[in-house]
Amino acid sequence: MKDKKHIIILFSIVLGLLIIGFAVRLFLQPSSYGKFGNYRWDANKEIQMKPVLNQNSHTCAECHNDIYQLHEKDAHYNVPCVDCHGAGNVHVAYYKGDSLKGITKEQAFLEKEYKLEGCLYCHRKLKARPSDFPQINQEEHYKFLRVTDSKTKCIECHSPHEPVFLLTDVKKSRIHPVVYRCTECHDKKPEKGPKEVENHPTIFECKDCHSKVVEDFNSKPHSKYMDCRTCHLYHKENETTGRIYKNGNAKFCLLCHEKKSFKDEKYPPKIEWPSHIGNSKIIAKSDEKICLNCHMDKVHQMDLKVKENPHEVNWIKNHKTFAAENKAVCQRCHTVNNCSSCHMKTKPASHKDEWRKQHPKFAANNKSSCQTCHMKDGCSSCHKVEMPHPKDFGDTHKDVVAIKGKTLCFNCHKQEFCDECH
Amino acid sequence: MDKIERRQFIKLGLVSAAGVICGSFFAFADSDEKIDFTSGDDLKKFTWGFIVDTTRCIGCGACVRACKIENHVPDTFFRTWVERYEFDKHEKIRVDSPNGAIESFKENNFDESEIVKAFFVPKLCNHCLNSACTQVCPVGASYESPDNVVLIDQERCVGCGYCVQACPYSCRYIDHNKGVADKCTLCYHRIHKGEAPACVNACPRNARMFGNLQDPNSKIRKIMQQRRYGVLKPDLGTNPKCYYIGLDKEVK
Repeated sequence: MKDKKHIIILFSIVLGLLIIGFAVRLFLQPSSYGKFGNYRWDANKEIQMKPVLNQNSHTCAECHNDIYQLHEKDAHYNVPCVDCHGAGNVHVAYYKGDSLKGITKEQAFLEKEYKLEGCLYCHRKLKARPSDFPQINQEEHYKFLRVTDSKTKCIECHSPHEPVFLLTDVKKSRIHPVVYRCTECHDKKPEKGPKEVENHPTIFECKDCHSKVVEDFNSKPHSKYMDCRTCHLYHKENETTGRIYKNGNAKFCLLCHEKKSFKDEKYPPKIEWPSHIGNSKIIAKSDEKICLNCHMDKVHQMDLKVKENPHEVNWIKNHKTFAAENKAVCQRCHTVNNCSSCHMKTKPASHKDEWRKQHPKFAANNKSSCQTCHMKDGCSSCHKVEMPHPKDFGDTHKDVVAIKGKTLCFNCHKQEFCDECH
Repeated sequence: MDKIERRQFIKLGLVSAAGVICGSFFAFADSDEKIDFTSGDDLKKFTWGFIVDTTRCIGCGACVRACKIENHVPDTFFRTWVERYEFDKHEKIRVDSPNGAIESFKENNFDESEIVKAFFVPKLCNHCLNSACTQVCPVGASYESPDNVVLIDQERCVGCGYCVQACPYSCRYIDHNKGVADKCTLCYHRIHKGEAPACVNACPRNARMFGNLQDPNSKIRKIMQQRRYGVLKPDLGTNPKCYYIGLDKEVK
């Protein structure tokens, strides 16, 4: 029993160490440790609390709804705003009035224009990209379009929010059987057609169904540089179906045919826009189909010999009978200014009680504007004499009064007017 | 008398109709349970999964750029990156990812006519169910959250780098500014505020999808029922939750 003391000391030391150990654990271990596993549960909440930097496109739409709607319809509808404009958390905080953070307007500014390089991130031609994805070799593209300045940005021609200018909403485009191009399988366009080669697998081509249109198209210069799919944009959905978009938007035609400083002047034929279509009072320029309005009838033959002004010389007199039968034809171009803008049923708002006094001033500058309604003889239908009076009227008025009588003068002048001189 | 009775009848009808509409509104409103993302028990209703559709990826690098900004990832490190695989006629393979594809890819590695097959594969943390990286952590800083996202407690981490070695997919790195390990959090701060992860939000081709694997009606489950998919390095038994559509044998 001599060692009894030693054993007690040993046990008390072990017990003491254990108590110290538990006490240390109690103080050092975080309170939320082990709640859902062997980790600090509060860490989870800390990670959750971090701020969101990249904004959702719907957040952008709260203020920029007009651009969002435009963007939503076109081919880029799936590209979120952040991809081009950046994260946008500072921008949103500033314009929602989070003034506490001390953000300046310069910091809140988001990139508006995008570099040439930015578009090529997605659209540079690479073998690894899916073949149905639109991609370009920049050099070839500029050579084809005869762009002389190689530093020209994509956005000079393509609006990033509506890059393809489709007449059909992308989401509503038509499902169509798969149409193949020879080059999808062959490296170069083969000399023989698929029907001339033995055991060639059957394929769809545009001309199989739309033979007349394709024949017309192939005989004209457009066919050297484009094919059907340049305009009728085509997107392969799977092995058997694809989507076809109607693409007749004026902006699409203008990609090649608008006069711009960085393009070759002569080829392809260029027009000045918007002066090409003339007076904006008569024809609305916002119409998306405006090119096709005149050039549509034979668009595949590209027979574009339409006169500058499609109307005859004495059109104002003749249009009444034409419009009565073919009102729809007029409205192809005159969408905003229809009949009623000229032929108003009620008096114009300006023609109030005092108009009689005021109208000479107005008429002196805008005689043609009066003639839209008072067309027969203009001023002379009321005044019976030339209005306003010519310079030498002082000498010649004697003859006029002799023929037409004094009462005519009293329409405007007081009766004492003659006595002032005579 | 007749008039008053009719008026009363209409009144009664309108009041009862309004009562029925209000009552039904409250009945439906109550049936929707609200999920509190700060409570661990509610988080157990989620198992976040990720789908990468390699057939749709165009290698633009929008995801890489968005992730960099969202998570303040230091230069030269990536939480997500895009790899390009190119196969030529002689069965030579080139795999590259210049600077994580943050500025996309410049040109083909082989001559264009030589390439027979080529594609992009975006990579990110697989958020494995049996993750190797959480098991080796000596201080309990690396953990799996109740909704099965592999995370790091940045206060506890001592920066020893064991987990960086353990991850078979090279998805972890040591952030030298903070002296701790760091990795993809599946944008844990975004997904609980109703936003998609930054890379999913930024993808212009819907090549990345994300959702709850426990919900049989979620978009991610429907895609998994329709498409053929695979995971990276299945033989390691890590059980990844990141599924790749159109995966090639050479992608590891």
